[in-house]
Amino acid sequence: MAQVNMAVNLGGLRMKNPVTVASGTFGAGQEYNDFVPVDELGAVTTKGVSLHGWEGNASPRIAETPSGMLNSIGLQNPGVQVMKDDYLAWLAPHDVPVIVNVSGHSMQEYVDVIEALDDDDRVDAYEINISCPNVDAGGMTFGTHVPSVEKVVGACRAATNKPMIVKLSPNVTDIAEIARAAEASGADAISLINTLLGMAIDAKRRKPVLARVVGGLSGPAVKPVALRMVWEVHKAVKVPLLGMGGIVTGTDAVEFMLAGATAVAVGTANFMNPTATHDVIEGIRRYCDDQGVTDVNELIGGLQC
Amino acid sequence: MEHNQLVCEDARVLANEGVGPRLFVVSLESPRIAARLQPGQFVHLQVPGMPDHILRRPFSVFDCDPQAGTLDILYQDLGYGSHRMTDLCAGDVASQIGPVGHGWQAPTGTERALLIGGGVGAAPLFLHAKALLAAGVAVDVVLGAATKAALATYDAYTALLGHAPVVATDDGSFGFSGFCTQPAADLLAAHAYDHVACCGPEPLMRIVAQMAADAQVECQVSMERRMACGVGACLSCVVDTTDGKRRACVDGPVFESSKVVW
Ligand SMILES: Cc1cc2nc3c(=O)[nH]c(=O)nc-3n(C[C@H](O)[C@H](O)[C@H](O)COP(=O)(O)OP(=O)(O)OC[C@H]3O[C@@H](n4cnc5c(N)ncnc54)[C@H](O)[C@@H]3O)c2cc1C
Ligand SMILES: Cc1cc2nc3c(=O)[nH]c(=O)nc-3n(C[C@H](O)[C@H](O)[C@H](O)COP(=O)(O)O)c2cc1C
Ligand code: FES
Repeated sequence: MAQVNMAVNLGGLRMKNPVTVASGTFGAGQEYNDFVPVDELGAVTTKGVSLHGWEGNASPRIAETPSGMLNSIGLQNPGVQVMKDDYLAWLAPHDVPVIVNVSGHSMQEYVDVIEALDDDDRVDAYEINISCPNVDAGGMTFGTHVPSVEKVVGACRAATNKPMIVKLSPNVTDIAEIARAAEASGADAISLINTLLGMAIDAKRRKPVLARVVGGLSGPAVKPVALRMVWEVHKAVKVPLLGMGGIVTGTDAVEFMLAGATAVAVGTANFMNPTATHDVIEGIRRYCDDQGVTDVNELIGGLQC
Repeated sequence: MEHNQLVCEDARVLANEGVGPRLFVVSLESPRIAARLQPGQFVHLQVPGMPDHILRRPFSVFDCDPQAGTLDILYQDLGYGSHRMTDLCAGDVASQIGPVGHGWQAPTGTERALLIGGGVGAAPLFLHAKALLAAGVAVDVVLGAATKAALATYDAYTALLGHAPVVATDDGSFGFSGFCTQPAADLLAAHAYDHVACCGPEPLMRIVAQMAADAQVECQVSMERRMACGVGACLSCVVDTTDGKRRACVDGPVFESSKVVW
């Protein structure tokens, strides 16, 4: 059996395999290390970090929905300093590239976070989250209009030479238009999708299940939407894509790659199965073996239609 | 803090029996988790046969036999997943993550402890009582339930303590008639305690926390939150504490009650 080449290049970020984790579902790897040694991953993507940290939203923060879940965590995070002192320090001895997911309430805050991290060589790339539906200021409001996408992405671009991935929201009319704006403003890669804005109601109590009323939908339920958006963006831009949304198995991951993703992220599936990332990596390898694929890069955009 | 090594293990169902109104005990063979489980820790269980319900369910461990590699969960049938659990039969397999969390830890030198369990909250206190008794601590137990029939752990506690626990029922069908906070208050007034542990509905824990604070006795409570990952990664389960929002799954579920912002 020929060895499959699993390595990919995501806009300058070299990954030994195409699998990373979806921001916010994996901490910085430490919590899952008993199940999947973080070194196995193509890259680790951290929970979103802001400059001085945020408290996040009130509880309940999650609701289970058919084949999915809603969350309204609200980007709770301890800020850049703790990111450096704890998470990056823990990651340092591990042989895995680190993508830091960046969030901000203002355009300046995104830039401040990058500037606070940029001379730290433990940071290999950024994922700019302009798509969080769970905060009142910043987040998704930046990612749903072309002019603000151009401004935030342009400002972040000016702050770093490291690979910069821009994470898009599915809560838009025309995802291709937003993707083109991100690419034109300097994105090295585009990741999608963040969660779909949704809601759950407890009929008996006549109350919303989430304290914040609305939240972001993720998990297998969103996969068809995510695939469609990856496909549309693949046709619209040249930069590589990081696909996510409901990936549970290696076959799911392969579907995203066929739709145009260079790499994929496993999110909610980690909650279902703590070895999901490992299983997805092995599943991709097995698919390639079975199909006689010797280089995983052959899959990218390989959809026949 | 020492690293609490987690495992994900396929547990085999040994038995699953009704023990009261909508109350069941499922016994599971889960040797790797049973071997290291500490009192107050829980398992994050994937209920089999409901793949479109994607989240695991957290359940405290009621009793555990590390030698035999088995553990028991006392659960209430109150939602989709817990209802599906009532269908489990001997031989079925369920994946569980464990042992999760930070359990009970009586202050060193504790000589007398008061344990207060409301409803199924009696379950996670049982192993704590066992460990305290084994360490020579005097243990008083107060159990509260809606009715006599719902006092599912009464016999187990009676056997463990060598005498009956103090009991309160909402309908007065057994023991003290009313909320279990009254007999708990009486005991707190009558004895010098070094440690109080309480698990049950949040209003009960809040009242007990206040009573313990008034009596200047160290007190711990086990907090319940909706959980996604169950391993500390997703921040679904946070509890407001004087140290900020902390994760119920790994920073708890047991917290010093003085640190909880009720
Ligand atoms: C640390 C911990 C220990 C627990 N120990 C026990 C125990 O020993 N015995 C017992 O009967 N119950 C216990 N519970 C509560 C138990 O987890 C819930 O009753 C169970 O998750 C309900 O699931 P369901 O599918 O029946 O309900 P559904 O309403 O269908 O569940 C929907 C979602 O909400 C969550 N959810 C619903 N109710 C609760 C709740 N009260 N607490 C947390 N999540 C909830 C579910 O996990 C699921 O994600 C414990 C909870 C926690 C956090
Ligand atoms: C609990 C939770 C927390 C999340 N936190 C973040 C975050 O901090 N930053 C971010 O860009 N996306 C966040 N996301 C979105 C995921 O990274 C991902 O885009 C989305 O969940 C879709 O993938 P999935 O279906 O595989 O989970 C979060 C998702 C969940 C479920
Ligand atoms: S359930 Fe994910 S952090 Fe507690």
